[in-house]
Amino acid sequence: MSTQDWVNPNDAAASASTRSAGERLKFLIGGLMILGAVGYLVISGTVTGARFFITVDEVVGNAEYQGQSVRVTGAVIGDSINYDSENLIIEFTVVNLPERYDDLALALHTAVNDPENTRMHVRIENEVMPDLLQHEAQAIMTGALGPDGIFHATELNLKCPTRFIEDGPAVPAEHPEI
Amino acid sequence: MLAEIGLISVVLALTACLYAVGAAVLGVRTHSDRLVVSAHNAALLTFPLLLVASVALLAALLGQQYNIAYVWQTSDPNTPLFYRITALWGSQQGSLLFWCLLMSGFAVGALLLNWRTNRRLMPYVIAYTMATLAFFVALVVFLENPFDRYWWVDDGTQTGAIVAAALQPADSFAVPARDLAADARGLNPLLRHFGMIIHPPMLYLGFVGMLIPFAFAMAALASGDLSTNWIKATRRWNLVAWLFLSLGLILGGRWAYDVLGWGGYWGWDPVENAAFLPWLLGTAFLHSVMIQEKRGMLKVWNMFLIILTFSAVIFGTFATRSGLVESVHSFAQSEIGFPMFAFWAGITVISIALILWRWNRGELRDEHQFTGIVSRETMFVLNNVIFVSLAILIFWGSFGAPILSELFLTVDITLGTEYFLNVTPPLFIVLYILMGVAPLTAWGTMSVGRLGRSIFIPAVLTLLTVVGLYALGTRMFGALLGYGIVVFAGYVALYEIYRGAMARRRAQGESLPQALVAIFGRNRRRYGGFIVHLGITVIGIGVIGSTLFQMETQQTLTAGESLDIGGYQMVFNGLDNGQISEDGRVMDIANVAVVRDGQTLTTLRPRHDFYPGAQGMNTMTIAAAHSTIENDFYVLLTGWDTIAGTATFKVYVNPLINLVWWGGLILIVGTFISVWPTESTARSRQQAPIVTGARATA
Repeated sequence: MSTQDWVNPNDAAASASTRSAGERLKFLIGGLMILGAVGYLVISGTVTGARFFITVDEVVGNAEYQGQSVRVTGAVIGDSINYDSENLIIEFTVVNLPERYDDLALALHTAVNDPENTRMHVRIENEVMPDLLQHEAQAIMTGALGPDGIFHATELNLKCPTRFIEDGPAVPAEHPEI
Repeated sequence: MLAEIGLISVVLALTACLYAVGAAVLGVRTHSDRLVVSAHNAALLTFPLLLVASVALLAALLGQQYNIAYVWQTSDPNTPLFYRITALWGSQQGSLLFWCLLMSGFAVGALLLNWRTNRRLMPYVIAYTMATLAFFVALVVFLENPFDRYWWVDDGTQTGAIVAAALQPADSFAVPARDLAADARGLNPLLRHFGMIIHPPMLYLGFVGMLIPFAFAMAALASGDLSTNWIKATRRWNLVAWLFLSLGLILGGRWAYDVLGWGGYWGWDPVENAAFLPWLLGTAFLHSVMIQEKRGMLKVWNMFLIILTFSAVIFGTFATRSGLVESVHSFAQSEIGFPMFAFWAGITVISIALILWRWNRGELRDEHQFTGIVSRETMFVLNNVIFVSLAILIFWGSFGAPILSELFLTVDITLGTEYFLNVTPPLFIVLYILMGVAPLTAWGTMSVGRLGRSIFIPAVLTLLTVVGLYALGTRMFGALLGYGIVVFAGYVALYEIYRGAMARRRAQGESLPQALVAIFGRNRRRYGGFIVHLGITVIGIGVIGSTLFQMETQQTLTAGESLDIGGYQMVFNGLDNGQISEDGRVMDIANVAVVRDGQTLTTLRPRHDFYPGAQGMNTMTIAAAHSTIENDFYVLLTGWDTIAGTATFKVYVNPLINLVWWGGLILIVGTFISVWPTESTARSRQQAPIVTGARATA
């Protein structure tokens, strides 16, 4: 006779069921804790890391953005670029780039050639001159507009339209007559 | 002629794809084995056709056929041969064609190798792989054609105009290639780097390789063969894709480190993150399929994971190629955005609907339940939860928050690097802890006491390491904690290999090296996996060291002057200005000597390149580095004054950074060991009986 005969089958089933329910509860609590931790990371990370992504018009035109850490996009004026290589300070001017456009190269070209366009002076320290910083590049800067009217950037990303817009060749000097 | 050959080949490839899809579906529905075989043959045909198209484009690049728009945009007469070859994937159209070729290669490989062993799944695999390939080939044919040529048309102006078109417009003339050579664009200077040359193909291989496990999973759902057949058939494909994805990410990091000149290798850029998402999800899948194989559990979860992984691949491709996100990596804003989004949404919805359908029918029920908190299954599930959480957090930061704010708020919101640096480290820490603990747990259930005894030796070794680091001068608590957690995972991997070898030695009376060779030969997956864990450990050590202890300085020096940083001295020995290279670059080079303890270790030549012919971005700052396992001495020439004879340098000392690359190499070796087929696998493939596929589905 096996020892199992001494145990009431109903009791054994109930015990297994209780154990199973206990395990399930442990998994549930563990899962909820992980979910809570991940949720906390998302919310806290979003609250501390969120930056308004705005245009030069918006940051210059709204006093509420002054001193606030924001991300701004603008078109670089090539002649304004000044690089102090000894102190690693870059200064340049950007002009407003519309929020929506079909052709980045065209939008940048139009923006820098519009004398009425809003301008903003940018200063970034301890940064090596990026190779992409040039006339009609799109600059995406993170930083804050100071009371001096200068945008003090802490991060600078650049996009050069000619890398992305595949334009075509000019008509060769010698071409067939139609 | 080359353009015509290429164009005809891609059109035929598209036709073959569409025929294969139709014949495979019809073959299954009508139980016609002939149709399925015909679909199989059509699918096989796509590879040679796409190969011909790719070779045609390559020949055009090598033959300087500047009348082909793609050749004009990515090369010029000064482009060296090597970069002429790599220009094949240097821009949108060529890279899409190359992507199609690789995808076709993977699909054909999977069809050939699994045709005998998995005949029941094959019609569906053909349908899924060829439908996906058809979509990308259609993009090449209709929207991003690399075989567009330049035509001179009369537009009413005095000079006429040059237009690009695949077919000759009415009343136009072909423009001779030699007439267009002078102002050809040339390859983007940023892409002229070894890392960038092989980084995209590796990443593409990783991306397209994920198509195979996805197609098999979908085939299992569609055919109703929901056993582990699809998992067994795709385990190696999955590992191969994961290997290439890992290689692509590592090489991308190396490229950023060498070329972008900021002393780092990962910038949490949306496009970098888009490539990281499938890696995270694919890694979770690699672990969780083991539970299904061993215990018949997590069937629905595994289906979801592989769908999410492939969905992440397509989403990442869409995000990169559509101009959706602001990134230094993006291609042009192009017309492929909407079709790619529609395709991504379509495959995701269809796949999830298939899972729900099978689940609703009760066909994806698990065979076992979780029995204990301390078990291998629970550890793997936790591992999966963390990997997926990381993917969600990174997706949210890169795409979720910016896109939702654009849709629903009056002002756009982005999450910068700070977000990623805040949210990801806690999860990486948990992952490393799990990587240490999980291999020591048993399937089913295990007592905490037994786990404690298993952990004891690696834990003691970890403690000794941390104490040693403290004694050697590391005082930062975060660094000691980080090193401790990471090396613990490595010690567990080494300990498990050692235990396996010792058990074998005792049982067989072999020497330790013989026993090591034997255990790796007999269980490549397990021990290859431990080598991968070791690689990840080494990468982790490199990341902690280079992130927490990086030193930097910038100084202007005249010839003969020096600067000091991190125990090194750098002596400036003068400038070589205006050096002209073979490809027409003008280089300004600084000569510096790196000295330590009075001994000159090496001389470096950081430089600044100017590309006179390049449009737009035409300068490149090229760093120089003296690399050792201990650290990298990394120098950038940031400015110079030829009259004053001065040069300004930015110098970084990056501790342990080379462990990131060495860890990557170890990871690759480990994956190779895991992927390498055993004799029994090869034999079973050869001996598998041929069954009537379409009939078997009935």
